[in-house]
Amino acid sequence: MTSHPTSPHRTSSLDRRSLLKGFGALGGAAAGMLGTAAVARADDISSPVTTAPESNRTAERVDFYGVHQSGIVTPRPATGMVVAFDVLATTRPDLERLFRTLTERIAFLMQGGAPPKLDPKLPPADSGILGPVVVPDNLTVTVSVGASLFDERFGLAPKKPRHLNAMEQFPNDALDPDLCHGDLMLQFCSNTADTNIHALRDIVKNLPDLLLVRWKQEGSVPMIAARPGAKAESARNFLGFRDGSANPDSADAAVMERVVWVKGGEEPDWAANGSYQVVRIIRNFVERWDRTPLLEQEEIFGRKKASGAPFGGHTEQDVPNYAADPKGRQTRLDAHIRLANPRTSATQANLILRRPFNYSNGISKSGQLEMGLLFIAYQADLEQGFITVQKRLNGEPLEEYIKPIGGGYFFALPGVSGPSDFLGSALLAPGEPT
Amino acid sequence: MKRSVLMLATALSLSLGALQAQAAVSPLDLVAPIAQYKVYVTKELDAFVAATKDFTDAVKAGDLAKAKTLYASARAHYERIEPIAELFSDLDGAIDSRADDHAKKEKDPTFTGYHRIEYGLFVTNSTDGLAPFADKLMADVNDLQARVKGLTFPPEKVVGGAAALLEEVAATKISGEEDRYSHTDLMDFQANIDGAQEVYTLFKPLLAKDAKNEAFLKKVDANFASVDAILVKYKTADGFESYDKLSKKDRKALAGPVNTLAEDLSKMRGLLGLK
Ligand code: HEM
Ligand SMILES: [Cu+2]
Repeated sequence: MTSHPTSPHRTSSLDRRSLLKGFGALGGAAAGMLGTAAVARADDISSPVTTAPESNRTAERVDFYGVHQSGIVTPRPATGMVVAFDVLATTRPDLERLFRTLTERIAFLMQGGAPPKLDPKLPPADSGILGPVVVPDNLTVTVSVGASLFDERFGLAPKKPRHLNAMEQFPNDALDPDLCHGDLMLQFCSNTADTNIHALRDIVKNLPDLLLVRWKQEGSVPMIAARPGAKAESARNFLGFRDGSANPDSADAAVMERVVWVKGGEEPDWAANGSYQVVRIIRNFVERWDRTPLLEQEEIFGRKKASGAPFGGHTEQDVPNYAADPKGRQTRLDAHIRLANPRTSATQANLILRRPFNYSNGISKSGQLEMGLLFIAYQADLEQGFITVQKRLNGEPLEEYIKPIGGGYFFALPGVSGPSDFLGSALLAPGEPT
Repeated sequence: MKRSVLMLATALSLSLGALQAQAAVSPLDLVAPIAQYKVYVTKELDAFVAATKDFTDAVKAGDLAKAKTLYASARAHYERIEPIAELFSDLDGAIDSRADDHAKKEKDPTFTGYHRIEYGLFVTNSTDGLAPFADKLMADVNDLQARVKGLTFPPEKVVGGAAALLEEVAATKISGEEDRYSHTDLMDFQANIDGAQEVYTLFKPLLAKDAKNEAFLKKVDANFASVDAILVKYKTADGFESYDKLSKKDRKALAGPVNTLAEDLSKMRGLLGLK
């Protein structure tokens, strides 16, 4: 996906360009390497084996402050990680300290800079993974809360978003309780997995008395060669299909306003400009998938594998015409994309913004590869969005190849307006219950 | 009360952020607390030798019930002084390693010591075949006592031991994996905390000399108190409830103060001017 100047969180493409120029010869060399012509000889000994791989993107920075949190309509970078936590705070002041500290840490991590130097006889303030100066590397950390935060502990029950409940079990699910739910969810996204890990370690170190890690899942998406001027392509998932083709346009603020952001009036006032977040760890049975005929794979999704185009189309951007195919002769009636979005005027209300990563976790007890989709979706209405779409998908042919094993429903907090504001300030503000 | 501790905690995280070179404690100041600590370790070791004798005697006599009751309380002495005992890694492995540390797990011939006997007593539910392990354990424990006698206690190991004990709790006790066959983890848990608290208490007066440490000490005291308050709920006449009985809520409630103690005690060496 290309970055676009209208995005509220992204440094403008102009800034980006001047920033890249700043890297001078280095940027040029790296750009050359991205070209198809760069081929390293098998016996290339021009630099030591352990020289750090180079990136010209470590200075990329996403704004932390804004009406909405970043990491939702922000273009998805190459790596992501979700971490669910139990909140250990037991009082409102402690809960506020948690959110204020989180705000302070995330603002620093997304900005980058030098952590304080302490007396070397003390443990250092920073893990040092990214070196003495922390680079932003396109990091976003998005904070969401689970239904359990609204239990009796903090008196927040009256403020619970209307549709926020513990994630239910769908027919094809085999949920592992150790991979589900949580009081708090942090979604880390950046250019490199190590940048996400660095941010997580910082937060764990700074909040030992208030947060306890509950479960975590890392993911990534395959990068493709830069092709200046070409149409954006969706990254592929571990079933080899482009994922995200039919996503609503995250660059279109009006569409995002309708599909993603919660508006005042429908929900408790504090929740305006937040969004319902669904996280699902969906295992893919990839060995079996790889032994499935290509035609069947394509029919299951309703799209061509190589191009990502719907049947009858040429590019992944083409829109299937189900009205002209009522019997499912072209696109099966139970194809994933047709069930997920039947494209009738009524089902327009069920659109969601997907922002997934692929994950890979070692092997299963039977020696099969444990990998799949770290499904992440945002929507203004959880019931109309994910839950309705998933109910339509229940029983789909794809189920033979997938098994949801974890995840949860969360509510992404509204954005932080500026340095005097903090995450969750509206949620924690005294004020009458709605 | 609670709230003021919180506010101190906030203030502390700010002041620690700005921590610069400490007014180092003179090495001479450390002599007395270290000597006192050695007395503590010696006493615990004497008790450990005696308790291990009773325990291994019961195992060898085939008294399953007695061996089971003696198991947890004998170990507690070891768990209190683990940072010193661990200085002899061969003995620590022989006395206190867990099945995971061995390639063939419970079946591995190199798996010896307390947890091997625990496995026999609580899983096989018999003392059969345990006599050789009992003899070896007794010999290893005697050896440990002899070696510690001749040991000059390294100050950074003593002071660092408080944090090390908390790391032990955070890494293996919260999960209940240490005493997985007998579920007597809470006894070890308390012993690790006691051992850390002993070190902390001995060095606290030195730390208290510097007014800058006031908030730090308050916070550590409060977190030790939180842990003790939860553990005391599970005390029984002769030890602790089985670890299975620990509610999920209390398990989580323990994790906060334990992790915070681990963070804070990790600063103690530096605050005392030690490397
Ligand atoms: C491992 C599980 C899944 C895989 C491999 C998968 C894969 C795909 C692929 C390849 C497409 C077509 C390209 C695109 O538009 O992105 C697609 C579309 C879509 N998927 Fe999934 N998906 C999975 C799970 C889900 C789940 C759980 C939901 C929601 C409940 C969902 C909702 C959608 C939607 C809404 C579309 C767009 C349909 C359209 O507008 O035409 N998917 N998915
Ligand atoms: Cu131990």
